[in-house]
Amino acid sequence: MVKFTADELRRIMDYKHNIRNMSVIAHVDHGKSTLTDSLVAAAGIIAQEVAGDVRMTDTRADEAERGITIKSTGISLYYEMTDEALKSYKGERNGNEYLINLIDSPGHVDFSSEVTAALRITDGALVVVDCVEGVCVQTETVLRQALGERIRPVLTVNKMDRCFLELQVDGEEAYQTFQRVIENANVIMATYEDPLLGDVQVYPEKGTVAFSAGLHGWAFTLTNFAKMYASKFGVDEAKMMERLWGENFFDPATRKWTSKNTGSPTCKRGFVQFCYEPIKQIINICMNDQKDKLWPMLQKLGVTMKSDEKDLMGKPLMKRVMQTWLPASSALLEMMIFHLPSPSTAQKYRVENLYEGPLDDIYANAIRNCDPEGPLMLYVSKMIPASDKGRFFAFGRVFSGKVSTGLKVRIMGPNFVPGEKKDLYVKSVQRTVIWMGKKQETVEDVPCGNTVALVGLDQYITKNATLTNEKEVDAHPIRAMKFSVSPVVRVAVQCKVASDLPKLVEGLKRLAKSDPMVVCSIEESGEHIIAGAGELHLEICLKDLQDDFMGGAEIIKSDPVVSFRETVLEKSSRTVMSKSPNKHNRLYMEARPLEEGLAEAIDDGRIGPRDDPKLRSKILSEEFGWDKDLAKKIWCFGPETTGPNMVVDMCKGVQYLNEIKDSVVAGFQWASKEGALAEENMRGICFEVCDVVLHADAIHRGGGQVIPTARRVIYASQLTAKPRLLEPVYLVEIQAPEQALGGIYSVLNQKRGHVFEEIQRPGTPLYNIKAYLPVVESFGFSSTLRAATSGQAFPQCVFDHWDMMSSDPLESGSQAAQLVTDIRKRKGLKEQMTPLSEFEDKL
Amino acid sequence: MDFESNYEIARTAEFLLSRNFTRVALQFPDELLKDSTRVVRALRDQLRSLRKCGAEQNGGNKDVRLFVMADTTYGSCCVDEVGALHVNAECVVHYGHTCLSPTTNLPAFFVIGKAPVSVPNCIKSLSSYALTNDKHILVLYGLEYAYSIKHIREALVEASKLSNSKSELEVRFADVSCSVMNSSDDHRSSTGLVEPAGVCTDDNIFGMAPDNRYKIGSLIWTLPEGHRMEDYLLFWIGSDNPEFATVVLTFNGCDIVRYNPKENRLVTDVSQQKRILKRRYYLVEKAKDANIVGILVGTLGVAGYLHMIHQMKDLITGAGKKVYTLVVGRPNPAKLANFPECDVFIYVSCAQTALLDSKEYLAPVITPFEAMLAFNRGSQWTGAYVMEFQGLINSSLVEVKESEEARFSFLSGGYVEDVDLQGKEIGKEEEGTLALANAMEKVLQLRDNPNSLKKGTSRSGPEYFAARSYQGLDMHYDNSLPEPYLIGRSGRASGYEDEKNRQVEL
Repeated sequence: MVKFTADELRRIMDYKHNIRNMSVIAHVDHGKSTLTDSLVAAAGIIAQEVAGDVRMTDTRADEAERGITIKSTGISLYYEMTDEALKSYKGERNGNEYLINLIDSPGHVDFSSEVTAALRITDGALVVVDCVEGVCVQTETVLRQALGERIRPVLTVNKMDRCFLELQVDGEEAYQTFQRVIENANVIMATYEDPLLGDVQVYPEKGTVAFSAGLHGWAFTLTNFAKMYASKFGVDEAKMMERLWGENFFDPATRKWTSKNTGSPTCKRGFVQFCYEPIKQIINICMNDQKDKLWPMLQKLGVTMKSDEKDLMGKPLMKRVMQTWLPASSALLEMMIFHLPSPSTAQKYRVENLYEGPLDDIYANAIRNCDPEGPLMLYVSKMIPASDKGRFFAFGRVFSGKVSTGLKVRIMGPNFVPGEKKDLYVKSVQRTVIWMGKKQETVEDVPCGNTVALVGLDQYITKNATLTNEKEVDAHPIRAMKFSVSPVVRVAVQCKVASDLPKLVEGLKRLAKSDPMVVCSIEESGEHIIAGAGELHLEICLKDLQDDFMGGAEIIKSDPVVSFRETVLEKSSRTVMSKSPNKHNRLYMEARPLEEGLAEAIDDGRIGPRDDPKLRSKILSEEFGWDKDLAKKIWCFGPETTGPNMVVDMCKGVQYLNEIKDSVVAGFQWASKEGALAEENMRGICFEVCDVVLHADAIHRGGGQVIPTARRVIYASQLTAKPRLLEPVYLVEIQAPEQALGGIYSVLNQKRGHVFEEIQRPGTPLYNIKAYLPVVESFGFSSTLRAATSGQAFPQCVFDHWDMMSSDPLESGSQAAQLVTDIRKRKGLKEQMTPLSEFEDKL
Repeated sequence: MDFESNYEIARTAEFLLSRNFTRVALQFPDELLKDSTRVVRALRDQLRSLRKCGAEQNGGNKDVRLFVMADTTYGSCCVDEVGALHVNAECVVHYGHTCLSPTTNLPAFFVIGKAPVSVPNCIKSLSSYALTNDKHILVLYGLEYAYSIKHIREALVEASKLSNSKSELEVRFADVSCSVMNSSDDHRSSTGLVEPAGVCTDDNIFGMAPDNRYKIGSLIWTLPEGHRMEDYLLFWIGSDNPEFATVVLTFNGCDIVRYNPKENRLVTDVSQQKRILKRRYYLVEKAKDANIVGILVGTLGVAGYLHMIHQMKDLITGAGKKVYTLVVGRPNPAKLANFPECDVFIYVSCAQTALLDSKEYLAPVITPFEAMLAFNRGSQWTGAYVMEFQGLINSSLVEVKESEEARFSFLSGGYVEDVDLQGKEIGKEEEGTLALANAMEKVLQLRDNPNSLKKGTSRSGPEYFAARSYQGLDMHYDNSLPEPYLIGRSGRASGYEDEKNRQVEL
């Protein structure tokens, strides 16, 4: 059944021009996995007949059950193209055999991290868009991510069958819909002008847009039809292609092309006339079982059916006919091979995005040239659970060199710093594996440009890593991936039976590996915390934890918990002072909120501790109106030395100030991690050191005296600056028909959400609603919404920003005060906040 | 309460005379110091009168000299042997609450004191609690209530006789081991405890003995064959003090209620105490990430402390971490913050002062037992908890499980390198010709941010200091002219003289 062997596959791996690494990305339910099936079927891994129903890449039981993809799945496919098909291919190639390393990714926003991991190791993306629903929020998110990674996209307008069977729209209307879909996608792509990548917009007339029906396994690009008609009209293919899209009309009565609709009833748009109508006709004939009409038509099209297939009726017949006439695989393959870059092309411009080190060292050059003889550079983007429980494959992409069984590699983890030994291991690869459908094949080695799974490194890699040869000590790692979602929803887990704790610990360790996003940590109170992007994500994680990673041992999970941030509203009402334990040193401080946008700038890394001070002060003075000198007096950022809070020195002429700087910084790191309100992280606070009085003897102004004092004075200044809580807020996008709007609004109101955009999709009865919804209120939101709209509305939530809660946490009885009390109770702290008088001292 | 009986003057005098001690140190905790003169006077009178009778019998007794000791360096629950040796004392009489940790050199006599308890009320709580549960009950108590246990026991028997329904009710009581402690130079062979009745002479140190004998602090009890601690409900008579915390942590698998004799109330909610265990678990996880460890010497008296310190040192160096030993007396946040390079402190002290609530401390303070969990690779938290470090001495030190896997840190949510393994491997390579080249490379390397001091990144004290932004006096003067002299501040720290007017403003 399988049309290729591991040996064949391995052979093509050396032809770097004949490889395409691509991911399939789209909004949830736009048909990625279904479409992938057709490609897999063409490679002979599953039967053509069941393509579209199997969802080959949804390997997990819960994926099949829920009908959504959860993990991205890689698959290597081998195709042999005909000479004729490749006739017009201008790029470099090496024979007619092609290797497609394809990764099917999940569409649900909670699993965006899987998409990110997939994009990193591919060079091209097949963007699937439902022709009816159009470009949705997740389409946009993943598309932006792809372009950010310099992934070249091609588009397929999917679910064409809905146009013909369900909606029965006429040609012109359908064209308008398709045109709009493509336009919307292009609007997003146009924002990514990139001289190296070139024009990334897609055009049907250039063959970068396909039209497909994943469920029925057929697809076409305009090339298919152009070829067919070119000879008939006696024009060349390229010319024909152009006529088949856009403002080109044909009137069969006059046999003339015009650029405007002449108004004659027979005048139709080229696309409608030559592509849409013929398909519609064939489908109608099949559905009505008019076989007498069908066979001659098929003969004219050059389609031959097998005899047993001729007995089919209705839908199966239609499916079979369409598959034979316009096989999805060939249209899509052709599009990929022609328009997506090979690794050797892609790595030329991607090296800048990928490599952290200097772009002219041997490693950068090896990546740029996709050099199999160069040093090994391999990025592990995710870990895949192996069938043997507890172990993982390290799945990644070889960017240069070769990785082989038994090779000793240098593993650079995410915290690795060149020149240091932190997060660095030297281990050997036990086995190199490639994926062929559901089974894995061991190969001797894998050269650059390919995806690969490695065995034996899982005990040193948490989520991702850069691998290189043992001796390559100068290599810098490949840049870490940037996720579009963040883990804002958390649950505490504990085991039902206390003695299962080791199992839980082991399980959490494995869970942390199996998912690119999930964070398994421990709280100050000693509770194990799992943090994920959303409710669904957590649900899947918990299920995996219990069933797969803990062998079914029972766990108790808490209600979902959301972490808050502490900030201030105004400048401190007065300069506060705290004395050291020996009363000989005094720190004076004030807190004030950071300028709007500054905290985000720090989050994004535009401003940080590692900047050149000059550059930093330039940004601060130009964008945020800081005094130039002041910008140079930033002592530190925190928490964790990079957080969105800072200490600024405002003192003048203080003796020994330099000496206590480290101690103040240490106190600040500590205090900004655990704010005064509820020991949540601080955010967006600037602490200004106003004055310092120090003892003349060094021994009396040591760390012991200053660190606790710095912490106290920071708390005091926070409490005098109108402290407030920040809560995380989701951006929710909902697509629903008009009659569901009432239900959506009422649910959103009830959940403290507010709608800020409501647009009707042109040409559809669907509305697009965008709203902000506090993450705290989002638990159960999906199901409530589904219930209120009888299943017509399906929300996609992405963390968007931190929103200040207006009520005063210091005022007893307020909502924020209640929240603070709850958090403190959960953390096992004293329920009452420590009063200001504990932190502030009087002279 | 009668003064004489509360301070057990007569018993103390008898003890001192029977052993012919001539120089005796009386150790008082701060809260009892006010009574010290009365105690000395009473004790002296008692000794004198006793000696008179004694002298008539055998004569030749020398005068007993009494010294009052106060303000102990470490916890006041431990016998301050060092202080006693300063006056060449032969024996220490310890007053007030005690942890009964074995002493090294001197014999000690303990006067615990007696706290009032309402026996009928206690019985009522106990029996009503027993009725609601079908498990056996084990009664444990604070030492200050030990004197009343006999009454409670009798009263309970009485009560159960009256009502037949409670016939099957089984209540066990723990016994107090002793109030006299002989010195023990060899902590391994014996705890040095002398049971007045001569029962407890075995060398079971702590925890589970083969014959179901349990001991915690000074309480001992035996369970019948086949019974486990988990089968019992613990009923604690006493206040919510470190003693109780020790019990809760050690027997964290049992249900525990506390009878508060001061308020005559049964406290069934001990979740706060249980929380401590989780918190300790977190501290262990945190300690695993530490690179520099400080050992705090929290006792100079408890038997085996030196051995423990050495054992800890071996453990930590074995785990590839740097260790410093610090003696700071009783630790407080300000003292420990003087060592910001330490990522974690191990506090070697008696069981009842061992748990320091680390919330106020910059770095966590853990017990030797927790250190064993944290630094002994491959050891896992099973729920068992040992407070007294004597129990750890015998435990086999390092059962090196050569696990291949890198260590997973729950604080950072990922694998973190383990210094030792890395060090060994890469260290080897560096020996030889490459070493110099590598060192040079490091010297020339641009530090990405010299002024960011992040906890837990440096490997040793010197490395930490090298990363500090302040490196000592700055000798860069812009001009070579001498600075004009300035008049400094004068006055007291609470408000210097030049700040007097500022005070008015505020």
